[in-house]
Amino acid sequence: MTGQKITIEFNDKVVRQFMLAAVLWGAVGMLVGVLIATQLNFWQANFGTAWLTFGRLRPLHTNAVIFAFVGNMMFAGIYYSTQRLVKARLASDFLSTLHFWGWQAIIVAAAVTLPLGLTRGKEYAELIWPINIAVAGIWVVFAVNFFWTLARRHEKSLYVAIWFYIATIITVAMLYIVNHLSIPTSWTHSYGVFGGVQDALVQWWYGHNAVAFFLTTPILGIMYYFLPKAAGRPVYSYRLSVIHFWSLVFLYIWAGPHHLLNTALPNWLQLLGMTFSLMLWAPSWGGMLNGLLTLRGAWGRLRTDPVIKFFAAGVTFYGMATFEGPLLSIKSVNALAHYTDWIIGHVHIGALGWNGFMAAGMFYWLAPRLWDRPLHSTALANLHFWIGTVGILLYGSAMWASGITQGLMLNATTEGGTILTYPNFLDTVNAIRPLMALRIVGGGLYLAGFVVMIYNLWRTIAPAQPVNGTMEVYAEAYAAGEEMGAAGSAFNAPVLFSVLGFLMACVWLFTGGWLNLLGLFGTILCVLLAIGHYQTRGGKWGEWYDKLLLNSLPFTVLVFLSVAVGGLIQIIPMLTIDRRLQTEDRVAAVYTPLELAGRDLYVREGCYLCHSQMIRMLVPDVMRYGDYSRLGESIWDHPYQWGSKRNGPDLARVGAKYNHAWHFDHMRDPRSISTGSNMPGYPWLFARDTDYASLSAKIRVQKTIGVPFPNWSPAMIDTLARDQAKEIAKDLREQGRYIAPDKEIVALIAYLQSLGKSNPVAAPAGAAN
Amino acid sequence: MDPHPPPPADAGDTLRPHSYDGIQEYDKRLPNWWLYTLYGSIVFAAIYWFTYEIAGIMPSDTARVDAAMAKIAAAKMSSSLDVTNDAKFWEMSRNAVFTDAGRQTFNSICAACHQVSLAGGVGPSLLSTEWIHGGAPKEIFKTVNEGVPAKGMAAWGPVLGQKKISEVVAYVLSYHKEGEPVTLNPNKPRGVPAAPPGG
Repeated sequence: MTGQKITIEFNDKVVRQFMLAAVLWGAVGMLVGVLIATQLNFWQANFGTAWLTFGRLRPLHTNAVIFAFVGNMMFAGIYYSTQRLVKARLASDFLSTLHFWGWQAIIVAAAVTLPLGLTRGKEYAELIWPINIAVAGIWVVFAVNFFWTLARRHEKSLYVAIWFYIATIITVAMLYIVNHLSIPTSWTHSYGVFGGVQDALVQWWYGHNAVAFFLTTPILGIMYYFLPKAAGRPVYSYRLSVIHFWSLVFLYIWAGPHHLLNTALPNWLQLLGMTFSLMLWAPSWGGMLNGLLTLRGAWGRLRTDPVIKFFAAGVTFYGMATFEGPLLSIKSVNALAHYTDWIIGHVHIGALGWNGFMAAGMFYWLAPRLWDRPLHSTALANLHFWIGTVGILLYGSAMWASGITQGLMLNATTEGGTILTYPNFLDTVNAIRPLMALRIVGGGLYLAGFVVMIYNLWRTIAPAQPVNGTMEVYAEAYAAGEEMGAAGSAFNAPVLFSVLGFLMACVWLFTGGWLNLLGLFGTILCVLLAIGHYQTRGGKWGEWYDKLLLNSLPFTVLVFLSVAVGGLIQIIPMLTIDRRLQTEDRVAAVYTPLELAGRDLYVREGCYLCHSQMIRMLVPDVMRYGDYSRLGESIWDHPYQWGSKRNGPDLARVGAKYNHAWHFDHMRDPRSISTGSNMPGYPWLFARDTDYASLSAKIRVQKTIGVPFPNWSPAMIDTLARDQAKEIAKDLREQGRYIAPDKEIVALIAYLQSLGKSNPVAAPAGAAN
Repeated sequence: MDPHPPPPADAGDTLRPHSYDGIQEYDKRLPNWWLYTLYGSIVFAAIYWFTYEIAGIMPSDTARVDAAMAKIAAAKMSSSLDVTNDAKFWEMSRNAVFTDAGRQTFNSICAACHQVSLAGGVGPSLLSTEWIHGGAPKEIFKTVNEGVPAKGMAAWGPVLGQKKISEVVAYVLSYHKEGEPVTLNPNKPRGVPAAPPGG
């Protein structure tokens, strides 16, 4: 060691703040989760109150768990470990403080706006546009603080945890910004710039990779720091870290379309989504192996140390979830499982088992160190572990059984396969009710364990004084040849072989004829050359990578390129093609002003959280709901409402299936029409007035983003809406239902009755209206 | 090459020289089963893509579903009943096997609008001898099978199939008598609302 010795004191205050915030919001998010699980089984738990209904609280649950619980936990873990791994105090106390309080303000804003029904109508991207801007801004604060800290580091070489943090920061920024591009119609409402299939594709590119880069990569980084620290054992394999890191960040981005299998999404995208998900299996398990095998030699402590217990179980649940993910991405498995509770079970194995247990392990490890006092009770931590584990297993097995039961019932046919065995959707819902009840028990147990942890942490912290870690470091300058420029980053064997091989593979994937053969041979040649080069000069590859780890900017650029390419190849073609060429043989008429108002109510109430609007290309779907959905039928939908789960039936062709009176009675009291239904009633729709005033601004924005509305004046829009409302109210009156035309229920009925009405098109040109 | 090399206890057990905040790293070989899983999935992806996208050997999803639905339609046609035979429907209405089966379907599906009592709710009463779309058995069958979209009666043919609809018709007829006077009244009032109006 050379240079001058200095002592630094870490900024552990912000770590403590983030940790306590994670504990608080975790409890809130899980409590809301138990409530909405109850609502699914007992409609009375919606309390007939707008802001307490499932459709509004479910976004609150998902956003709270993802962004508030895991978000705060991740910031605590990243800030604690990064300072120690790079031997530097966080660059700016101001930015750290701003990051903390800014993030908490965002969470509070979300907790207020979501129950009010202010939403963008896309899963995990529900927050309204002013909050989106705040999220992006605070994320930039986080990024600046992090990279500035890297710039001031005394440890030149970047440890594997830091690689994962870098990937997290740049990828989440990219995904979040693209998926939230929208044009405001008011201070609280906006329309996303993407519509229909484009919106679906961008949404799941974002949604899936929120799982990847918000719930997985940062936690893997945290695992790589806290697990070997707690176990006191070296990491199992450095080369496994390298291989699984780069394959994970490159492959993950491509897997988004597996959320849209068997839908109207073009088949080439479905194939990429499925095959890249299968290829993800090994890289994901690489992380699990490196975690579990690091515990070799420390397994004895599994009996005594709750931290090791939580980490070992958390990593095991990660392995289960990442095996299940590729399995569910196989098109034929997905045909059964998609839209059912199996998917909900899958995501909770990840959220409760992986995120929740890794968080608990980290909290139990951090608290004694950040407050310099031993954990209050190991017995209580063990109790938490066992209650939590039983909770997860109950939850998971209930959801597997529920999903498979409902999937099989929905697909069952009789009389030689000519008709459905259970034509009434509610038969399948009522069959899984005991399992839905078991889910409440499992979730409740998990929450109880979490509360035990809160008590334990409180008893640990309350009498203690916070302490900040310190470290003695040596200022060290770069030696000659250690710095890497653009040329050094780009022109070296691993990068060149990867780029060339990938380009050749793309030629093979996307061309025909001779060019296709060229691509195939080129790809094989690249792979063989790379293997040959590595066998003879593999040492050079290692030297280059060691040098890359000393240079954070080139490293970050290479990570960005790896994660950006998948999205570019999948999304750009869908954005550049004229939307009217993506209609197949049908195209939706643009909505009438009243239908648009009704559609915004459908989004506000979160109907898409239980009802899909996408009849898949599967025989049971077609038998139950009618002809499979065409891309053109949702082409003007901002946001798209294909949905991701079916607690109720698909609504893509519900228009004109029933009369107005049916919808009128059903929305007020679903059980008056559908015996045994678990849908909440929506009495406030019968009391509130439709917001006609905002329609002209909304239609103006929709025109800006390419929806071919006619040139209506604001006065005409108002007249059209009111006239249609009077028409519907008149029909309702004839059917014995009396309602003022201006009530929201009338607009909602107008929208529901428009679903599935589309015009056949001969040629894509002149498709509009 | 020996397919089962001895476990490499040598190189992998050397620790890498660098230590990060006290954390050290081994550099163990990657497990073979892990590597083969990775390589296997890549090869599978290539073959799968070739089969569907390049060679086009497999039928597209659209073609597959269209063919399956055509087969179902053919099966339905080949086993179809004579649904224009009024006498047959009346005979079925006196047979408990048909009416019991019909009651089950009715209570699960139709009762939503017509009530378990058949007295009507969102949909009209099925007890009276006044009919909106015709009271002859074959006309009732047609109304259920094809629906009356303008009035909010769904077409149940594609969902229930001919046999179940015939049973439902037999069940409804069991509340009527063969030869009773039937009147056609397109403006017949609906049943009472299921709940008081307003919110």
